Amino acid sequence: MKPWLSLFASIVTLTTSVVLRADTDAEVRARKDALELAGAFANDGFNIRDGHWCGVLRPHDHTLIALNLYAGNQYWFSVGTVEPIKKAAITVFDETGKQVTTETYSNEEKAAAGFAPESSGQYFVAIDLLEGEEGSFCLVYSYK
Amino acid sequence: MIRLVALAMLALIPVVSTAKAEEARRLSADQMTKAVGTDSISVPTPGELFAALAKTEKINWSAQYRGPMPTTYSNRAQIALNLGGLIADGFIAVEAKDGQQVKNIGSDIMKLGKALGVSEQLLSRGNSINEFAEHNEWDTLQAELEATENEVKSSMQSHADQELVILVTLGGWIRGTQVVTGAIVKNYNESAAKVLRQPALVHFMQAKLNEISPELRQEPLVKSMSGQLNGIEKLVSFPGGKAPSVEEVRKVNEAVDKLMTEIESKEPPK
Repeated sequence: MKPWLSLFASIVTLTTSVVLRADTDAEVRARKDALELAGAFANDGFNIRDGHWCGVLRPHDHTLIALNLYAGNQYWFSVGTVEPIKKAAITVFDETGKQVTTETYSNEEKAAAGFAPESSGQYFVAIDLLEGEEGSFCLVYSYK
Repeated sequence: MIRLVALAMLALIPVVSTAKAEEARRLSADQMTKAVGTDSISVPTPGELFAALAKTEKINWSAQYRGPMPTTYSNRAQIALNLGGLIADGFIAVEAKDGQQVKNIGSDIMKLGKALGVSEQLLSRGNSINEFAEHNEWDTLQAELEATENEVKSSMQSHADQELVILVTLGGWIRGTQVVTGAIVKNYNESAAKVLRQPALVHFMQAKLNEISPELRQEPLVKSMSGQLNGIEKLVSFPGGKAPSVEEVRKVNEAVDKLMTEIESKEPPK
């Protein structure tokens, strides 16, 4: 098993994933950062999804993304951002809107949250801008 | 608890903590309704479903293979649905760690892709799949299969075939669910059965089907899929935390079996 190959395959597909619109240069850079962070989890056996969500974070606002997860799996959600965003955070909610307990990682422009759902179904991942000004971000996730 | 050992490799000074329940926020119904949902990230891959199942019981993945299937369909909607199903088959072959089967399925994916006019973009993917299969790079193959699926969908969008994208997704989900429900019925346990609870996912695919053009929606196969998904959404709407019984799993299996038979059939559904 060579996890770095998995990361490499994810990075080389940066331009091929299905998106509703073309990612901006800033979003591509943010995705590269997110994939680098996710690569650390690949070393621990996590598979990185090729799908991603890129967008713009604004002060005092958040982006909320709906995902469908399986009980039994473990997940890490990784977000990369670019200047002028200085710090972002990830929060996970269950289908009732209740926040779930996660392991969190934060390194200024990158952040991650990990958890293992006990129930299969829909979850929501919120990305908040904690410090800085409006800027681009990208979310990827990994599972095992 | 998820291990954080890998983070040490970042050679950075991370802040690692646990988000405590007492600091918890709560989303409103309005916020949840407005959440972003996209095919590329909101829909799990068959590989995710199989990974969850594999944690609960030992699966004989090679016993889940299908016999050879036609790759000469003329209806584009049917080709898209079968393409999704084949990609799910690819994930099964990866779970079985069967390089030859991965290569065979990769070849069939190329044939169906060619029928949809996306073969040029897929050619390099096919070569990569073969190479990774030769070298037993199973994790990489998982990523490559998903990248192949996304390449097909991306090509569909650029060829004004974006309406077919949801059919590829749907075909993959149906085939994945057929395999998983079949395995659970054969060797029932509650933990395994819990993976089947996905009402929001089925609702999402149904909503996407409702957005496609009336012409495509009226095609017999698409119409049949759409009609039966309503029933399947109810079948996978178990209460959170409760495992469905073996009989409930069997009903889901029968429902997706019927869909899969229609997808594979050369005859239009009645």
